[in-house]
Amino acid sequence: MISINNISKDYHTGDTVVHALKKVSFEISQGEFLSIAGPSGSGKTTLLNILGCIDSFDTGIYSFEGEEIAGKTRKELARFRRENVGFIFQTFNLIPVLTAFENVSFALSLLQVDERDLKARTMSILDEVGLTGMEHRRPTELSGGQQQRVAIARALVKDPKIVLADEPTANLDSANGKAILDLMRTLNRKYRTTYLFSTHDPMVMDFASRLVSLHDGEIVEDVRRN
Amino acid sequence: MKFILSLALKNLTRYRRRTIITSIAIAAGLSIFIMLDALLLGMEQESERNIIWYETASAKIMTAENFEHMEFLSLKYPIDNPEKITSLLNDQGFRSTTRITFGAELLVYEDPFPADGSTQVKIAAVDPESDGDVYRFTEIIEKGKFLQKGEEGILLGSWLAEDLQADVGYPVTLLTRSRDGYYQTIDLEVTGIFNCPNPYVNRATALIPLETADYYLQMEGGVTEIAVSLPSSADPAEEAAAINQLLQQQGNPENAALGVYTWQELAYDYLQFAAAKQGGSKVILFLVFIIAAVGISNTMLMAVYERIRELGMMRALGMDDGKLRAAFILEAGGIGFIGSVFGVLIGSILTWYFVRRGIDFTFMMRDMDLGYRVAGVMYGTWNVWTIITAFIAGIVISMIIAVFPTRKVVRMEVADALHHQ
Repeated sequence: MISINNISKDYHTGDTVVHALKKVSFEISQGEFLSIAGPSGSGKTTLLNILGCIDSFDTGIYSFEGEEIAGKTRKELARFRRENVGFIFQTFNLIPVLTAFENVSFALSLLQVDERDLKARTMSILDEVGLTGMEHRRPTELSGGQQQRVAIARALVKDPKIVLADEPTANLDSANGKAILDLMRTLNRKYRTTYLFSTHDPMVMDFASRLVSLHDGEIVEDVRRN
Repeated sequence: MKFILSLALKNLTRYRRRTIITSIAIAAGLSIFIMLDALLLGMEQESERNIIWYETASAKIMTAENFEHMEFLSLKYPIDNPEKITSLLNDQGFRSTTRITFGAELLVYEDPFPADGSTQVKIAAVDPESDGDVYRFTEIIEKGKFLQKGEEGILLGSWLAEDLQADVGYPVTLLTRSRDGYYQTIDLEVTGIFNCPNPYVNRATALIPLETADYYLQMEGGVTEIAVSLPSSADPAEEAAAINQLLQQQGNPENAALGVYTWQELAYDYLQFAAAKQGGSKVILFLVFIIAAVGISNTMLMAVYERIRELGMMRALGMDDGKLRAAFILEAGGIGFIGSVFGVLIGSILTWYFVRRGIDFTFMMRDMDLGYRVAGVMYGTWNVWTIITAFIAGIVISMIIAVFPTRKVVRMEVADALHHQ
């Protein structure tokens, strides 16, 4: 489904050049529950950003379902993300003035889904993540775990081909973190949506069916588990 | 679009205090704009009215030479047979009156005046019977009475009388030159004092009977001008052209030397000055707008920078840059709308006050020359067009200003925006 070949990315800070990714290559199949692990500065977030088309790469080839990403305009990339990618962020990134329902339906409104369908799909996914009855609450009226559930619902409501999660449990306590991972895995099995999440937490890595380890911008390990 | 609109509205309440403060800045700017415009327009309209009623009439028939040398108040270029023209005008339904306008030195002597002295004045020798058909001096007599046919006398402007400490019954002497250029003195008694709302007239103009001037200045029936009154709805230029055509068709060869001059031509200097003042006033109004614009700009800048991560998230989810911009522009438009509503409301209340009550500038106008022909209370005038323009401008300018800070965020890489601290 996803193929990246010799992807490199450098960051320039004045005269200093940081090699964030060095000729990284791997493939991801549909339905995988994949963890990208590594210490801080290993290139996890950069790789995730490139896969989510929110950051550019310097060299290499990235193709998504056979379609090359390089060369797409900003507008095309926005459309690509809108239709194919769901994001879950470490800090949830919910819009504080909107209710849980509105935060989730935001992703659908970008796809111009009709009102009735939008309502039904949003309520259904909120039910799926265990937030029935909380749809009218604003983020400040929800716990951290509940906010991340809203973020998961927002990522999944549009039925994306891939969900990218950047350290999704980093801001949660271990019980909530485990619950979120359980939920993500359940949904992954149910809908066969591909999940890719970055982490440096061993507990989180244990949940993954495949573990890709990065170190200094290079893949040092790629392990599949049953 | 519905979502963007809903988000923009919700963001307005998100930073309630900031929205209120910025709206107040816009409201203050707009209300000052509306109020100043109403006052300026009121002053201009009143000035124009006071010029027509007390200085130039709607139009004047004069010889071309007299028009050219108008500022010298010369008697050298009179209209010698004004009766033929006034009767023609009357036949055609135009109200007119004849006048001799000249300059003189007004001399006063101790007892009854407190001291000897003199001052330069403009004298309008008027026909007491027909002057009221064109000018409004009969309505502004403060003391004594208006000039009467067959009686000698002089009417002084109230500020002129105040400066001289003159009163009704006091004798004055006019020193001037006759039509032929000889010195002539005219002794007259003050028979009335008028309080003219036109400061130029009230400060340095006196009226005497036309017969008196005709006799002492040896005008032999000649006058310097025939003043014509036109309805306020008439176009002076069109009417002047029609009168001119009448004069030329009369078959009198003397009429070929005459011209019909509108009040705009006669008060050309004032109109130039008013246009310059308008320019200056617009600069002030522009500055008021700039202050309001800076307020909006600052608010939107803060709103955008505080929400960079949120905007990054929206873009990551696939929101188009155009829609993102639209959300901020609508938010700014919302602030502009609130500010405009209150600005128009406060501006209208202030305008209402100035239209009804006015503002008394007598203390200032008495000793200062602001150029406007308004002596005391200045009234505002409703200008619906300005109110509509201000309302729309408040919203549109707010929206335009929001474009710049939003553009910067939209140019950022999504990943940078998401990790912005």
